[in-house]
Amino acid sequence: MHDAALSVRNLVKRYGDVAAVDGITFEVPRGSVFGLLGRNGAGKTTTLEACIGLVTPTSGEIRVLGLDPVRRRDFAALKRVVGVQLQATSLPEKARVGEILTLYAAYYDVRPQPAALAERVGLGDKLARPVGKLSGGEQQRLALAIALLHDPALLFLDEPTAGMDAFGRRILWAEVERLKAAGKTLVLTTHYIEEAERLCDEICIVQHGRIVARDTPAALVAAHGGNAAIAFVAAGFRVSAELERLGRWTNDGGRWSVSVRSEPGHALGAIVTHANALGVSIEELDLHRPGLEDAFIAITGEALDEDAAEAAA
Amino acid sequence: MSAAAVLRALVEQTRANFVWYFFRDTEMVFWSLAIPVFFLLVFSFALGGSSTRQTSTFLVPGLIGAQVLSSGFWGVGAMLATFREKNLLRRVYLTPLPSWVFFASLVIYRMTLLALQALLLALVGSFVFGVRVVGNPAEIAAILVLGAATFVSLGTVIGAVVRSTESANNIASILTVPLAFLSDAYIPIDRFPQQVGTILRALPSTQFIDAFRGVAMHGDSLAHYGTWILFLAAWTLAGTTVSARYFRWV
Repeated sequence: MHDAALSVRNLVKRYGDVAAVDGITFEVPRGSVFGLLGRNGAGKTTTLEACIGLVTPTSGEIRVLGLDPVRRRDFAALKRVVGVQLQATSLPEKARVGEILTLYAAYYDVRPQPAALAERVGLGDKLARPVGKLSGGEQQRLALAIALLHDPALLFLDEPTAGMDAFGRRILWAEVERLKAAGKTLVLTTHYIEEAERLCDEICIVQHGRIVARDTPAALVAAHGGNAAIAFVAAGFRVSAELERLGRWTNDGGRWSVSVRSEPGHALGAIVTHANALGVSIEELDLHRPGLEDAFIAITGEALDEDAAEAAA
Repeated sequence: MSAAAVLRALVEQTRANFVWYFFRDTEMVFWSLAIPVFFLLVFSFALGGSSTRQTSTFLVPGLIGAQVLSSGFWGVGAMLATFREKNLLRRVYLTPLPSWVFFASLVIYRMTLLALQALLLALVGSFVFGVRVVGNPAEIAAILVLGAATFVSLGTVIGAVVRSTESANNIASILTVPLAFLSDAYIPIDRFPQQVGTILRALPSTQFIDAFRGVAMHGDSLAHYGTWILFLAAWTLAGTTVSARYFRWV
């Protein structure tokens, strides 16, 4: 508890009869990257906004670096130590990138370094560009620059790469890794599997305002991802008694496939050795390892959003 | 925040307001200066008959008064609602900036624009119609500041309680336009039936515009309008209290 940068206990947020968040509990250790993964409307953003004091919880307890965002005095202290990249944010259209960074430096009472900050988020050549002329992804990166401005110990990023192109995404991911190496704690929400898998030390899968699974990405995949599959074509191949034990075999018009519960590398070695012994060659080899997406589907019984499914494909 | 840091933030935010909403929004600035002047010219020539000077002596303070109303209701009140709906306020709210600094810099910007409008109306009135401002400049400034404070504080109530930009703009227009017609700004109040006039004189807008006109154009002393000044101060206090209680950043 003392080591936790963030702790959330039994958080509930109701809007009328609807519970946007329905009893969420988790802790984020200092120096880790923590992800809330779920579909749009699962309650991720409400949870995050409760942590930063934008949403007042119906019930439950939140501690951000030991501070309670609901208490006035704590909230004032919290603003200085927490950096926030909001999903729903906007800046004046006629303001230029450099002006925004200078103004927000005054808000935080830090030395203005617009050029260095813009460079860091890949907007180095756009200092003089008006906010209204930035793309959605560029505005998101400007929002990230504001979050970084006062060198906070804890950062909240709400769907940080939503609407970003591949370039923006790479920049953001590199920045997250840099912050992590610098010992910062990060809490992010996402509905991109790849992002969660790549960035997060630990993931909570959120569904209908509740946490339905929580673990490291690797452990979630191991526990829920299901079997790996190896498939190949090899004329004259036969399954030996030893290979039989690897898993369930099928042969579909000359294409062999086996679903293996253990590490597929071991199974693959055994298959190749056996094929060599038979003197047959293996062609059209496919290896499918289960990923976080498989685990997500197994846990929630539904796929992530369509755009995420496309991005994954 | 230290006093120096607060001052720096106030200067930066005020400068930003001027750059973003004044120098880069020249169209808005042009219309907000041109429209009152247009009204002054048209009304004075159309309604003035043989005494355009007398008419415009009535209209110049009336039009300035109407601008005070619209600066408060529209320029501050509806603007705050717009900022909130555009998710601009929530971002500022998450920084250590004291809320009054953000608010004060908006008021400073609006009041500067208002001062320009007033100056321009007085200049056009003077050069085109020979209007004379005879009042004590310090007293004129005092009644203008009080009026601005009253209508900014009442305007902030709109910004505090109205959620959407659209309704805030509607309410601001509904308040500004009819009030200007009913408050001795364009139409002398004694043109209304006597009972109606009595009611209209109870409006803070009428009290402000009358006091302002009296002080600026007739050389009345401020003390002459003591009761109305007290009423205006009470409205200011009430507006400030309500908005401080109900204003929401998100």
